[in-house]
Amino acid sequence: MIDFSSPRHRAKFGYLLLAPAVLMMALIIIYPILLSVDISLQDVRIARVGGDREPWTLENYDWLVRSGEFWNAVWVTAKMVLTVGGISLAIGLATALLVNQKFRGRALARLFVALPWAVPEVVATVIWAWMLDSSFGVVNWALLKVGLIGAPIQFASNATAAFFAVCFVMIWKGYPLVSIMLLAGLQSIPEEQYQAARVDGANVWQRFLFITLPSLAPVIGVTAVMTTLWVFRDFAIIYVLTQGGPIGSTTTLSILTFEQSFSFFRMGQGAAVGVVTLVICAFISRALVGRFANSVH
Amino acid sequence: MQKRSPLGTFGIYATVIFTCAALLFPIYWMILTALSPRTRLREYPPRFWPDDPQWGVFADLLATQPFALWMWNTILVAVATMILSLTVGVLAAYALSRHRLRGGQGLGLFILTSKMLPATLLVIPLFAIFKSLGLVGSLWSVVIAQATLIVPFATWMLKGYFDTIPPELEHAALVDGCSPLGALVRVVLPVAAPGLAATALYAFVISWSDFLYARTFLTTSESKWTLNVGIATLKGEFVTDWNTIMAASLMAAVPIIGVYLFLERYLVGGLSSGSDK
Repeated sequence: MIDFSSPRHRAKFGYLLLAPAVLMMALIIIYPILLSVDISLQDVRIARVGGDREPWTLENYDWLVRSGEFWNAVWVTAKMVLTVGGISLAIGLATALLVNQKFRGRALARLFVALPWAVPEVVATVIWAWMLDSSFGVVNWALLKVGLIGAPIQFASNATAAFFAVCFVMIWKGYPLVSIMLLAGLQSIPEEQYQAARVDGANVWQRFLFITLPSLAPVIGVTAVMTTLWVFRDFAIIYVLTQGGPIGSTTTLSILTFEQSFSFFRMGQGAAVGVVTLVICAFISRALVGRFANSVH
Repeated sequence: MQKRSPLGTFGIYATVIFTCAALLFPIYWMILTALSPRTRLREYPPRFWPDDPQWGVFADLLATQPFALWMWNTILVAVATMILSLTVGVLAAYALSRHRLRGGQGLGLFILTSKMLPATLLVIPLFAIFKSLGLVGSLWSVVIAQATLIVPFATWMLKGYFDTIPPELEHAALVDGCSPLGALVRVVLPVAAPGLAATALYAFVISWSDFLYARTFLTTSESKWTLNVGIATLKGEFVTDWNTIMAASLMAAVPIIGVYLFLERYLVGGLSSGSDK
């Protein structure tokens, strides 16, 4: 019996505690990732573990580069990242600034402003699907009433409208996280900085531009990366709302991966799209991880 | 701090109320639609006030859809995921927080990057593995798949909490003859209880919201559907019964909203723990 409380064996105890997690990660993350690379290099329709295997080939990656579907998905993902990221950041910053003001009932306002965070994605999507319904939806009713449109927008069948419908849901689900994180950032700015600026005669706008924004910049950067990765990864919102349609206008890389694998049962091709997505995400998250490493050391 | 003028105060409240109303309108609309009589849903103009609430819709939902079963499956998955990731996470987080381990930094980075894995990629090999293990169609498949996201997350969040507890606490216990594991269980965990609760609830929320894994592994066995799979299917099948769909959505959202109201003050630490710590 090893006495773990003696200094000699303290490290062993540490590794022992770590073992279940490491083992588990190896089994359910690392092995599957290697397996998915393996699958992407085989011409398989439904992937299996063990048994006969196909020879390695670059066929799937060849398909990927040549097919319009992949490049369309890259384009859709990029557009979605910019739209959702930009608007979520704007709403998140605005709401964070608002509930950072001093007023009675502020705690309650903070609770409400980020409430959509607590609505499960599928539920949020279903609510918006109903609000954007082309015949009886409240959004079309309001737009018609105000006179902005002459005829109801067909959010389900119009490619551009469907894209923005997906963006609405994503922004609604995405801004609360931004708001919560930026509020934390705002709270860590020392009040003295504002007081000093006020003494120097800086107005509200100048204080925002020269104190708030620079202090928030690191948090904004991290939040932007997190939102970007979330749009890359998201499946539920797009799948439930449009299934990637119409005519691929909402098919992101994530949806294309799933569609190839589980709708068309071309898991080789699906895995190839997924592996490329993983590489792209890894490059994007380097920004985040780099920041993390800097703040640790 | 200078005093705000009455006009400024009014401006603040007006802005706050208007902003909240605009941002939370979809939630209100869900509740309103759930309580509307079915025939009213196709009326123009829509009504913005529930003048004739139909509470029977919930009984209806339980009678016509296997809603209780979906709820039960979702709870089973969420609780199992919570227990699994908390057990593994507590041990790993404690080790990372207290011991200077070789490779500890690397593991930290690994945990962080696991947040960035595209889930739709991971679902392909997991499907192949579960197929060969005969786990497709079992709730365990979803529990294991969700652990890929939640275990790293819980570990990182818990490490943050353990870091705030002074090591002298356990040292005292060790001197008094407590075993290292005993010190963790009897001394550190009680002190870390709020952090444990927050992490557990957070795991619960992530698990409850999963759609991809449940959709992929459970679709073919209807008795194993979770709430999200059920609701998504309702939307596809009964496009006109929006009041039923909204009632189901409302019941699926209420537990998470409840958790959120309790969790909010821990949320900032938890959400940002994976990013800048």
